[in-house]
Amino acid sequence: MSPEDKPRVLVIDDEDSLRIGVKRLLELEGYDVDTAENGTEGIRKGSSGEYDLAVIDLKMPDIGGIDVLKHLREKKPNTVYFIATAFASYDTAVQATKMGADGYIPKPFTSEELYHHLENGYKKRKLIIEAERLRQDRERRLLEVHFERTRLNTIINSLADGVLVVNKDGQAVLYNPAALKYLQLDEINIEEYVINKLPPEISVIINQYLYTKNYNPNSYSAQVELKPEHQLFAEVTCSPVPHPDKSLAGVVTVIKDITEFKRLEHLKSQFVSMVAHELKAPIAATLGFINILTNEKLKVTDEQKLDFLNRSSSRLTGLLNMVNDLLDMSRLEMKTNVREIKELDVKEIIQDVINLFQFEIEKKKLKVDFIITEPVMKLNADQTEIQRLVTNLVSNAIKYNREEGKIDVNLACSSNYLVIKVKDSGIGLKEQEKNKLFSEFFRAKNEHTKNIHGTGLGLSLVKKIVDSYSGKIEVESEYGKGTEFSVHIPLKKR
Amino acid sequence: MKHIKRILLVDDDVDLLEQTKMLLLSHGYEVETADSSEEGYKKFLEYKPDAALIDLMMEEHDSGFILSYKMRKDPHGKTMPIIMMTSATYITNYKFDVQTNEEKEWLKCDAVLNKPVVLEDLIQKLDSFTK
Repeated sequence: MSPEDKPRVLVIDDEDSLRIGVKRLLELEGYDVDTAENGTEGIRKGSSGEYDLAVIDLKMPDIGGIDVLKHLREKKPNTVYFIATAFASYDTAVQATKMGADGYIPKPFTSEELYHHLENGYKKRKLIIEAERLRQDRERRLLEVHFERTRLNTIINSLADGVLVVNKDGQAVLYNPAALKYLQLDEINIEEYVINKLPPEISVIINQYLYTKNYNPNSYSAQVELKPEHQLFAEVTCSPVPHPDKSLAGVVTVIKDITEFKRLEHLKSQFVSMVAHELKAPIAATLGFINILTNEKLKVTDEQKLDFLNRSSSRLTGLLNMVNDLLDMSRLEMKTNVREIKELDVKEIIQDVINLFQFEIEKKKLKVDFIITEPVMKLNADQTEIQRLVTNLVSNAIKYNREEGKIDVNLACSSNYLVIKVKDSGIGLKEQEKNKLFSEFFRAKNEHTKNIHGTGLGLSLVKKIVDSYSGKIEVESEYGKGTEFSVHIPLKKR
Repeated sequence: MKHIKRILLVDDDVDLLEQTKMLLLSHGYEVETADSSEEGYKKFLEYKPDAALIDLMMEEHDSGFILSYKMRKDPHGKTMPIIMMTSATYITNYKFDVQTNEEKEWLKCDAVLNKPVVLEDLIQKLDSFTK
């Protein structure tokens, strides 16, 4: 026997000679023997140590063998116990067995008898240990499965996408809270028939799986409007769940929120249709004038001819401006423009822009004041961008002004910022219009603005330029009175 | 059907409004113009035209339809020929036209003209209503 295989035996007997004799005999046979000279010591040793076998004397002065057995069996149920006694009788044997003894050794015994008992006992002990190991193993596995399941449930419940699994009878077998949310259901009961609770776009797909004889391994998707007016859009994907034999077990439905994507898509198509319409209008108008001018049947005076040509020219200029706006916009958005940062004379830029608009200013009989509160101001920036910024602000101030109105342009320095203010005495903004002011294609729509042409891109361009210099833009406006834009651009410290 | 003489023209593009007006005048029609759908409805009630030519996209993308819908609710507008002018066919690549009575009822107009308006098409449509 190898040392680790050495069976450990506890011998509890008040008779010194027997204790010592048994110990010696067993050690000769390769047992590891411990002894206790009375019941009390026996209980102490037996319950604290780990023994394979225990031989307990039935009659001891302090505690009887049966009581010792009772104690130890409770504490160490896997040890194999023998009761040894000189008062062997049928009754005591039965009683000992009832108390949980595994064997009964009548005294006096021969060494062979002892070996025989203990050998069998040790075999039994090994079986008990093996059974115990298997039991624990199984328990651990069950625990693992349970843990795995809980973990999987937690993961599925934490998904942002909705998950709903139905069996081939259309009954719900698994779902997560997101599915409830997207399907706007208060509850789904497991094993409840749910197909009729689902939006038709989804139930149609699931039913195709459920009512088709042959197993179809493909997944199908649909975009479903779950809440009206673009509030909630979902992409729903249904996939079959197969049994190992490739027959249909059920269908798993994944619901993904694509509301934001749809919103962008909608914005994009709005953008395209808006651009197309805005680009077409001036072309149609110009083409119309040309058709009239070239139509020999129409009587057109020289004065009318000149007017039509001027109007065509102005529509085409507008078209060109819009194309430029669109190009600038896309360059700023894609960040493809190469900037030439140099020291700029902002005062000169502003003056140039005002001069450029002289025709429009005079036409509307506007009074323009350009006030500089700090004479020397140099800004490091790209000239084209700053020009465009000022142009858009001044052009708006002209367009949305009243006849004989006023424009104040102010150039100043506040701490580390260059401040450009453009104030008009025009139609002003309503409170709800202010928030949308810088968004693309927003144009204030009211009785004053219907004859004003614009792309709705001017201010969003300004905002994009200001943002790209880490600046800020503020707007103050009163409906019917006028609007003031303040642009703050950081000055580089020297 | 009644002879068409007086036409109401509604378009928010003042240049196109004037051009179409000139074309119609040169063909002997009498023309009243409006540069918004609101103005258009007002003129329709006052002027009681024989036919109306309405731009589809004005303040909103469907202003023309809303205006024609309102006109159709009025006893005079019920039978008045309405022509819708649109450039939408160029944008969406979807050519829409009205042929059947069902389409006319649904779109609340009797014909659709693509913009820019070609004079011959316009006259042909107007003539077709008098036959």
